[in-house]
Amino acid sequence: MSAGVTIALRENTSERLVRFALFLGLAILPALWQGQYALGLLTLMAVYGVLLIGLDATVGYLGQVNLAQAALFGLGAYGTALAVQAGASFPIAMLAGIVAALLPGAALALPALRLEGPQFALSTLSFATLSVIFLNESESITHGALGISIIRPSLFTVTLDARGFYWLCLVVLFLAWWASEILLKSRFGLSIEALRDSPTATDALGIGTLRHKALAFAWGSALAGLAGALHALNFGYLQPAAFGYDLMVMLLLGVVFGGRRSQWGAFAGAAVVAMLPNLLSNRTLFLSLVTCGFILTLLPAIRALISRRLPSFRDAAPAGAMSLALALALLAHNVEDWRKGIFALFLFAAVVGLPDGLAGAVAAALHRLLRFTPDPLPQAAGGITMSEEISRALPLRTVQLSKSFGGVRAVDNVSLEIGQGETLGLIGPNGSGKTTFVNLVSGLYAPDGGSVEIAGNRPLPGKLMSAFSAGAARTFQNLQPFSGLTALESILVCQRTGGKREAMGWLRAVGLEANARDRCSDMSYGDLRFLEIARALATGPRVLMLDEPAAGMSKQDIVRLVDLIASIKRAGIPILLIEHHQDVVAELCDRVAVMDGGRVIALGTSAEIRRDPKVIEAYLGADDEETDGSTEREAQIC
Amino acid sequence: MDAKYLALAQMAVGGGLMGMAYALVAYGFQLTYAAGKAVNFGQGELVMLGAFAGISLSGIGLPYWATVLGAMVAGAALGWCIERVAVRLALQQRNEGWILLTIIVGLFSLSLVENIWGRDDRPYPTPWPAEALDFFGISVTWPELAIAAGALGIMTLVELAKRYTMVGIAVQAVSADPDAAELCGIRSRSAISLSWMVSGVAAAFAGTVIGPVTTVGPTMAAALTLKAFSVAVVAGLDSGFGLVLAGIALGAAENLSGYVLGSGWREAPGLILLILALSLRPQGVFGKKIIRKV
Repeated sequence: MSAGVTIALRENTSERLVRFALFLGLAILPALWQGQYALGLLTLMAVYGVLLIGLDATVGYLGQVNLAQAALFGLGAYGTALAVQAGASFPIAMLAGIVAALLPGAALALPALRLEGPQFALSTLSFATLSVIFLNESESITHGALGISIIRPSLFTVTLDARGFYWLCLVVLFLAWWASEILLKSRFGLSIEALRDSPTATDALGIGTLRHKALAFAWGSALAGLAGALHALNFGYLQPAAFGYDLMVMLLLGVVFGGRRSQWGAFAGAAVVAMLPNLLSNRTLFLSLVTCGFILTLLPAIRALISRRLPSFRDAAPAGAMSLALALALLAHNVEDWRKGIFALFLFAAVVGLPDGLAGAVAAALHRLLRFTPDPLPQAAGGITMSEEISRALPLRTVQLSKSFGGVRAVDNVSLEIGQGETLGLIGPNGSGKTTFVNLVSGLYAPDGGSVEIAGNRPLPGKLMSAFSAGAARTFQNLQPFSGLTALESILVCQRTGGKREAMGWLRAVGLEANARDRCSDMSYGDLRFLEIARALATGPRVLMLDEPAAGMSKQDIVRLVDLIASIKRAGIPILLIEHHQDVVAELCDRVAVMDGGRVIALGTSAEIRRDPKVIEAYLGADDEETDGSTEREAQIC
Repeated sequence: MDAKYLALAQMAVGGGLMGMAYALVAYGFQLTYAAGKAVNFGQGELVMLGAFAGISLSGIGLPYWATVLGAMVAGAALGWCIERVAVRLALQQRNEGWILLTIIVGLFSLSLVENIWGRDDRPYPTPWPAEALDFFGISVTWPELAIAAGALGIMTLVELAKRYTMVGIAVQAVSADPDAAELCGIRSRSAISLSWMVSGVAAAFAGTVIGPVTTVGPTMAAALTLKAFSVAVVAGLDSGFGLVLAGIALGAAENLSGYVLGSGWREAPGLILLILALSLRPQGVFGKKIIRKV
């Protein structure tokens, strides 16, 4: 840990310097390394770079397997080619390429955005297949399988030769990289990452799901179109078959191999995708590369053996794949016949051995070797206060709210009100409908009957965003952290107003100021519970719903929690508190509602509730049953 | 009957019977999805490998039924391999790496097939009579009937085994909750392995019945994966016999649109319907509505 060189630069600054050097090197490379062939490869790499940076927006940041990128690339290329044929100038032809990919991309986005996982992958795959069919069959426009030929128009008055075009591609790649970085590191990008980790929480906290998905997809499609335009102008000849399943698999694997959620990764993947097919033609070079790869993949297995344990699957599998590749390189009659197989083996080794890709592995190694000056954290500002506009309306009112699942009436005619500044406790045995009630109020479920009113507004039933807009904010019984974000970023994406200083203020309010830079995936359970409360507070709620905030917390943390909720209460924010810890409820709640079997069976102060015979029966059972088994329960309720 | 309608009916029936094969491959998706919430994006390659294994076995002189059996054994072994190599790690880490890893394994299988069996399409030899059967003017060939009988037979057998054998019930328990099943003394990992093996058997068997109708070649894999996956998702990844209906519908739609719009467009209406079906009912036409729990 302590070993390592300290660098007097921030990580961002050093990354930018290295990137600048990379582009400078790439730009002067054609001067040192003559030859049309090499130049062609470099151009291809730059084009793929743009394409993969776009693909990374969905596959990496959004976390959805997008199989449409190759087809969008093809549509962009055809758009440009057709525009050139119609006599368009260079910039117009490029624009045509972008539009040709963006419009169908948007059309696909509408139905696909509601989907996730395999369903999303399938809808994009169907779209890709449809696009290739369209390009193949619309012979009057695209000349079908025969393909389409164009001559590159001049850029304004300059006629670009191969080297000039390469430089143009580099400039475009640089701009695409830069724009993606700005976009994806902004609040918008953080929101996309939050969305990947918990779409329920992003909706409930008003970050919104659909528009971010749509924007990420649109950005990826636009870049695909841009790359397609460059591709058409580069080659001057297009065929539909080139944009099919094979290319798509290569692109997807390029992003994963390079490293997701990183423009560097996309660039590395592009380099591999562009170079690998050509490496296979040079046997000596290929053999030496495979040997190097094999030795590298052996390292984890050897390390495991040195520490006297059997290598795990993860240690051994990459070495196994690379040894197969080595065997092919040595024994196969013609290595190029095995192109797909060898590519598959490399990728297998990379996906299993380097789950964060090349870029991730290099970044991790650099972080071990070098220590950068961390970004300074801003001074905390603000804290828990009630939002300025005071409305006369009740913060929360439900009227005869009902919800059934199958034959079970989970919530049965529940009418509750929370007054200004009031803290209402909601208790009841497990399965009595407390969480379902919160889910109804916060819009996760649509009620079967009854109505919800939040701060005088009536949100649309079953819409998290609508309930949020009305002023509801909640935490979750089962944590819904944004695992990929830091604590500070988690707050930033939830804030309606204010910047980093205010976000630090919210962290200070829940006692997590020191954890600002920690990733949620590395934080403790108790801290994550506090972070959820901070997230909800940062949205400036009119009513705050806490679903079992103390569940699973240590004694010290519960003391902290009670202090925190008390300070929220002092600030005048109305609270609905679901809790099993009766001491917490008794200390904080002005009134307590008791639920059992979906109904509210009692409502009153904590002391009244404890004497209510119906409540005692719900918790302890009627006199004639289970009297001895209920002593623990008694300890819990009292 | 009008000759035109008869031709359409002929197309629909032929397509529907082929659709049963899609349903069978899709059934393989369902089995593994139920067991471990993962599917094999290289299922088409498995079908192809099964078919090629069968062809090689009949090349050494084995009868048809033995080649089918041999292909099924190979399918079981391959299914086990894919689970071990590509899926288990991703499931342990609870991420979606399996999508990529199964694509990678599929890519490797494709390369293997291209180099062992060549890139050309081959016929799959069968003992069925060459003449077609005639039902009210619609002709049905024996290999097509074999698809329908085989698909229904395998699916029925597996469904019965799932419901009435201890092993089958154990697999269902694992699919409901692997951790709870483990606490009851069921080895979740073995149950998931078994599901993948059965899925491999279904895929390889599909290869041996599809092969005689179409031909067998490296290009069949990707298209089959897409079609079968469409069937599985449209029917719903948890709906048993909804698959058969969705499969028949897709096969018939394909054939009819090929007939009406031209052979290049045969897949287009199915794909458009698929995207629409997904956007209207993400859980599938026959699937149960997913209730989000927090």
